[in-house]
Amino acid sequence: MKGNRVVVGVFGYLDDAIAAVEAAKQEGLEYKVYSPVPNHHLDDATSTDRGPVRFISGIGAVTGLTAGFALAIMCSLDYPLRTSAKAIVSVPGFVVIGYECTILFGAIATLTALVLLCGLPNVLRNAGYDPRFSRDKFGVLIGCDSRKTEEVKNRLLEIGAEEVEVEDGL
Amino acid sequence: MSDGTTYSAAPHAQSAEHGAGVDPEKIEVDYGYVNDTVLKMLEPPKGGWFALLALCLVLVAIGAVSFGWQLLTGMGAAGIAHPIAWGVYITNFVFWVGIAHSGTLISAVLYLFRARFRMPIYRLAEAMTVFAVMTAGLFPLIHVGRPWFAYWLMPYPNERLLWPNFRSPLLWDVFAVSTYFTVSAVFFIVGLIPDVAVARDAAKTKIKKALYTVTSLGWNGNHKAWHHYEEAYLIFAALATPLVISVHSVVSWDFAMGNVPGWHATIFPPYFVAGAIFSGVAMVMTLMIPLRKIFHLEGLVRKEHFDAMSKLIMLTSGIVSYAYITEFYTAWWSNNIYERYQFWFRPFGEFAPAFWGMTFCNCIAPLSLWYKPLRTNIAFLFVLSIVINIGMWLERFNIIFTSLSREFLPAAWGGYNFSWVEFGITIGAFGWFGMWMTLFIKFFPAVAITEIKMILPPPVRDKKRLGHH
Repeated sequence: MKGNRVVVGVFGYLDDAIAAVEAAKQEGLEYKVYSPVPNHHLDDATSTDRGPVRFISGIGAVTGLTAGFALAIMCSLDYPLRTSAKAIVSVPGFVVIGYECTILFGAIATLTALVLLCGLPNVLRNAGYDPRFSRDKFGVLIGCDSRKTEEVKNRLLEIGAEEVEVEDGL
Repeated sequence: MSDGTTYSAAPHAQSAEHGAGVDPEKIEVDYGYVNDTVLKMLEPPKGGWFALLALCLVLVAIGAVSFGWQLLTGMGAAGIAHPIAWGVYITNFVFWVGIAHSGTLISAVLYLFRARFRMPIYRLAEAMTVFAVMTAGLFPLIHVGRPWFAYWLMPYPNERLLWPNFRSPLLWDVFAVSTYFTVSAVFFIVGLIPDVAVARDAAKTKIKKALYTVTSLGWNGNHKAWHHYEEAYLIFAALATPLVISVHSVVSWDFAMGNVPGWHATIFPPYFVAGAIFSGVAMVMTLMIPLRKIFHLEGLVRKEHFDAMSKLIMLTSGIVSYAYITEFYTAWWSNNIYERYQFWFRPFGEFAPAFWGMTFCNCIAPLSLWYKPLRTNIAFLFVLSIVINIGMWLERFNIIFTSLSREFLPAAWGGYNFSWVEFGITIGAFGWFGMWMTLFIKFFPAVAITEIKMILPPPVRDKKRLGHH
C-alpha cells in the first residue's frame, strides 16, 4: 500500500464502508477493505476483474483428464492382460478414471489458486486488522502520506466511521 | 421444495445476549448473534462430552480388538465364506459411503441451487461426509484380509512390471473414493477457514488463539481474498456436484457390472445415488437434533430447516421405493428364471426379515412425513432418522446377501454364519465415526458462521445508497 501511513476506519454499516471506498478511489488512494462476509455490493465497488481462479481450475481439470486417460492406457499397454474379452485399451472403462482425475486435478488446482491469490498462509502480516472485522464491523484501510492523514481521517469520520486510527504504513 | 430459511433480521439492533426469554424460533438473527451462538459450542467441554468421547473410544477399542483377532487368526474369524464372500464388511462399506454422500449434496448441489435451508446444516453434513468416507475406507482394507498389501491397488512402478486392471469396477472404486475423500476434505477445509478465523478473533486463551491462527492460515477477510474465495468456492461446488453422482454410481457398478441375479441392472446408479442422499439426510438429522438441543441452536437451526430436510427425505424415499418396485417388475418382465427366483427369494427366503425391515423403514415409515405436523416434530424426526438408517443398512445387506447366496447353480447356494468379529468391527466403525464427530464439534465451528451471515441482510444505514452497485 502506497504512503507511509495507513488510516483505518471502523464502520458499522456496509453502505458507509462502500462510500469510504468510493472516496478513496476518487482521491486516487490505495485501500483495503475487511469484511465479515463476502458481499456483492462490496465486490462491485472494489473489483474490476473476475480473477484467474477459473482459468487455473480449467487447466487443472484438462491436465487431470489427460493424465487419467494416459495412466489407464499406458498401464494397460505395458501389462496387456486381456480380461472378459474386453479390448486392451478399453476406452469406456477408462472414462471413469479420466473423469475422476479431471475432478481431482481441477480441485487441487483451484485450491492452489486460492492459496496463492489470497496470500495464504498470512499468519504474521495482518496490519490494520481488528478482530471486530470478523464479527459485525467493516474495516476500510487507506494508505497515504503523513501530511494527508488528518484529511483522510476527517473524511472517514464524516462518511460515518465509528472509529478511526492511524498506523504506520504497511 | 421450500427454500427454507427466512431468518427475520434486525441488523445492529440487538446485543450479544439478545434472545433471552424469547421463543428461539422467533429470535431476530444478526451477525453478532450468529458468532455468539456458534462460538459457545467451542467453550471448554463438560462431563457429557467426555462421557460421549469415552463411549466412542470404547467402541473403537472393541472394533480394534475384533480386527486384531481377525488378523491373528485369519479371515475365517469373520463369517465371510463361499458363497457370500462380500458379507458384512462390504455392506458396511456401501452404507458409510452412502452416508457420506448427503454431505456433498447439501454443501455443493444445494449451494449451486441457492437453497438457503442448507446454510445452518451444511457444515455438519460436510464433516459427516469426511468422517464417513474415513470410516468407509476402512472396510475394503479390513475385507481384503492383508491390509498391509492394500497399496497394490495403486498403480505404482514395480519390479514385476505389473499394473492394476483399469477395466475393473473395483479399481474405479479406488479412484472414485480416494478422489471423493480428497475433494470433500478440501471443500470442507476451505469452508472452515473464515469461520476458524472468527474463532481465532474471539479466542480467550493463548493456546486457542495459536491453534486457530494456524488453522485459519491467518485469514483476514480482505476484499481481494473474499473475491477469490467466492469464485473458488463456486468452482469447488461445480466440481463436487458431478463427483457426488459419479462416486455412488461407481459404487453401484461394483455390483451392476457383475452378472449376478439381482445385481446386473442399469437402474443401479440412480437408485444408489438416491439411496445415498436418503440415508445421508437422515444421518444429518440424527446428528443435528441432539446437537441443536445441547448447544441451544434453536435460533439458527429452525423447524423450517427440518421441514425442508423432511421433504428431501420424502423425495428420495419415493425414488428408492420406485427403484425397489422396478427391480421386481424387471425381474418378472425379463422372464429370466434366475432373476425371477432372486426376487422371490428376497421377500420369502432365508433373509426375508431383512427385506421386510428394509421395506418398512425406507418405504412405509417415511410416508408419515406427508403429514405436515410430523415434519416439524423434532422427537419424531429423530426416531424416524434412526429408523431410516437401519433401513438403509438392511438395503445394502439385502443386495449383497440375497444375491450372493442364490446365484445360478443350486449346488453353489448357501447361507452365512455371522461372527462376533464382524459385529465388533461394525460397532467399532460407529465409534470411530462418533469419535471424529465428537472431537470436531468441540474444536471447530460445527455450524457455518459465514454462510449464515451471507443470507442475512447486511447492516446498512440507507439501502438506497447500495442501489447503484
